[in-house]
Amino acid sequence: MGFFSKIFTWWDGATIGTSLWSALNGEQVGTDLAGNRYFRAKKRVKAGQPFAGSERRWVIYAGANDASNVPAEWHGWLHGSVDGVPESRLPPPRVWEADHTPNATGTATAYRPQGALERGGRRAAASGDYEAWSPDA
Amino acid sequence: MPKVTIDGEQIEVPDGATVLQACELAGKEIPRFCYHERLSIAGNCRMCLVEVKPGPPKPQASCALPAAEGQEIRTDSQMVKLAREGVMEFLLINHPLDCPICDQGGECDLQDQSVAYGRGGTRYYENKRAVTEKYMGPLIKTVMTRCIHCTRCVRFSEEIAGVDEIGALYRGESMQITTYLEKAAAHELSANVIDLCPVGALTSRPYAFEARPWELKKTLSIDVSDAVGANIRLDSRGREVLRALPRINDDVNEEWLSDKGRYMVDGLTRRRLDKVWIRKGGKLQAATWLDAFAAIKRAKPGASIAAIAGDVVDCETMFAAKTLLGAMGSTLLEGRQTGMSYPTGNLAAVNFNSTLAGIETADAILIVGSHVRWEAPLVNVRLRKAVKRGAKVFVVGPHWETTFPAEFLGDDAAVVHELPGHVTEALAKAERPAVIVGGAGLAAGVLDAALALDVQRDGWNGFNVLHMAASRMGGLMLGFAQKGGIADIARAEPKVVLALGADEVDWSQFAGSLKVYIGHHGDKGAHAADIILPAAAYSEKDGTYVNTEGRVQFAEKAVFAPGDAREDWTILRALADAFGVRVGFDSLAELQAKMISEVPALGVEGLASYGKLPKAGKTKAKGAIRYPIQDFYLTNPIARASVVMQRCSAELLHGEDLAEAAE
Repeated sequence: MGFFSKIFTWWDGATIGTSLWSALNGEQVGTDLAGNRYFRAKKRVKAGQPFAGSERRWVIYAGANDASNVPAEWHGWLHGSVDGVPESRLPPPRVWEADHTPNATGTATAYRPQGALERGGRRAAASGDYEAWSPDA
Repeated sequence: MPKVTIDGEQIEVPDGATVLQACELAGKEIPRFCYHERLSIAGNCRMCLVEVKPGPPKPQASCALPAAEGQEIRTDSQMVKLAREGVMEFLLINHPLDCPICDQGGECDLQDQSVAYGRGGTRYYENKRAVTEKYMGPLIKTVMTRCIHCTRCVRFSEEIAGVDEIGALYRGESMQITTYLEKAAAHELSANVIDLCPVGALTSRPYAFEARPWELKKTLSIDVSDAVGANIRLDSRGREVLRALPRINDDVNEEWLSDKGRYMVDGLTRRRLDKVWIRKGGKLQAATWLDAFAAIKRAKPGASIAAIAGDVVDCETMFAAKTLLGAMGSTLLEGRQTGMSYPTGNLAAVNFNSTLAGIETADAILIVGSHVRWEAPLVNVRLRKAVKRGAKVFVVGPHWETTFPAEFLGDDAAVVHELPGHVTEALAKAERPAVIVGGAGLAAGVLDAALALDVQRDGWNGFNVLHMAASRMGGLMLGFAQKGGIADIARAEPKVVLALGADEVDWSQFAGSLKVYIGHHGDKGAHAADIILPAAAYSEKDGTYVNTEGRVQFAEKAVFAPGDAREDWTILRALADAFGVRVGFDSLAELQAKMISEVPALGVEGLASYGKLPKAGKTKAKGAIRYPIQDFYLTNPIARASVVMQRCSAELLHGEDLAEAAE
């Protein structure tokens, strides 16, 4: 991945600024199966600022910045629900857990309601909220 | 004018005011269930307790206590608070906790007041009273276990409606409100008890489990079921009007609404015209707007075009038609569909001059050819009030069941020329005499004879004509009248007849014309038409209506018209383009501005002024009077399409048993 693709595909992964900031101020605590990297700040939030004394945590996505890509266990860690990183705290994934489905918003596979133009735009005529008159009746 | 002190604030209240009214004047909210401004005082719910000095050292029911000089009233003391909590607790002893499945939920006085004035929790763990189910007809759904015995419904039936239909059995906790013998409440205002009921004991049967009040869009509108022009609120969800409720307007409908105005709204979703139809080879076939316009154009009407307005159209539609016809060079306009031809040169002679509120103060009333109870139930309420104040009422016409003492003078219209001595004497002696000429009277040519009666006094004009069509006065103001009525139009043999929702016309007299029906319901007019252009009903367009007393009122659009239907004026505007004439408006605002510049009275909400009554002509009234309304519930195309109205007609007027769904 070249320097230019980093600039022009800013929606994939971290921007240069974020990468730089993460390298200087953060330490990587883990990686999930999808390759997303999780960071926490080296220093706690300063006194006098909002959330003073807490630990800042963030994620750098592998691929598109799709927040639904974060697995449940890491979601809990990112939001401060658990203290330690998931590998040390949580049981391993269950066999019945479904794989992640990427967010389809904005893509061709996104959900379209019935009658939407992208689904052909055909709406049910006289959709039953009134009864039309016909001369034979 | 006694002076009282309310919560430390001294105010002067009118003579005869109760303590509750005094508190209201002082801006204090007094909770109540049984008290209602328009009903007599019952004093049986005890919710309006306040502390009054001088008096016994206990809280007193403020609704039944007259305000007296020097009273010290407290509505905010600990005693009052505890008293309200206590009353609320007693009321809730037997009230089921079924708010989640109760239709009154969200607009329930008991709900609101128990939140505002009740205790936080219950201390009651015993069994609750249960009441056997009652049947009150196709409009009123009863769950009498919820009843809190306020007796508002009983008082309404007795005092306002004037029929002893609802009453109470047994006493104390075991009291039950019932129609006796499980009879349906059959009068024309029966459904008003639903609004009056402070709890969910009486709810609307057609609206049962349809919606919650907070999910409905409320639109201010005008009732078109009769010529009274009752102020209503249309509650709609999505594209459907779910219910109509009366708005308070003391000049028109007070706070009542006739059952027809209230329940014909389900007809707005049935038998709707939603596409263009053209008759080909004797059969109506679906078509497009362009085909229809081309077909009308092919008839090449030139100036040979007429417009006949129906009973529920708004002034804007009529004016658009008038302008279109004017641009074509025709003045063949008529709104009196059934062929009446009374003179309309002076509109004061066909107006309800005493005003609807004014008729209450009349002291001698002669009704000529009007079944008031069916033609205008809300005027009947006023007449009953007048009689309660001591008015004498005489009726010329076939007998109908009045809700007040009235003397029937005979069926023949000629009676008006030689009224019995005691009637002329009563009218002559009266300070505020009134005559009400109904549709049947107009048809029998009573107008001149009625004008000859002296019913004018200083500051009082008691000459009244009671119309039945919501569009009548507006139509007359816009000139929808020929000298000879609709017969003149038939005689002119127009090539094209525009029927603006005209369903009561005898279409056989227009056999040679191209009949273009512009309307919203597939009724008689649509069956007779050659071309049908779907238009909007009263709930689907902004419109101006003029009621029988000449009161100009505006209605707002609640929902959109179904399918291909368009607002009427846009159809007429498009027709103007098809004919290649200019009508001078491109939007509703322009149309209204043009209409108001032509008839300024239509731009001002309120009573239009028609000037002085004309001198009586010489037309003799003759013939038996026949009331035009045969069936109260089925008088207009919307009501005829309504399942609820059909059921009311079948059960309440024709005595069929209501086939109730098995539960």
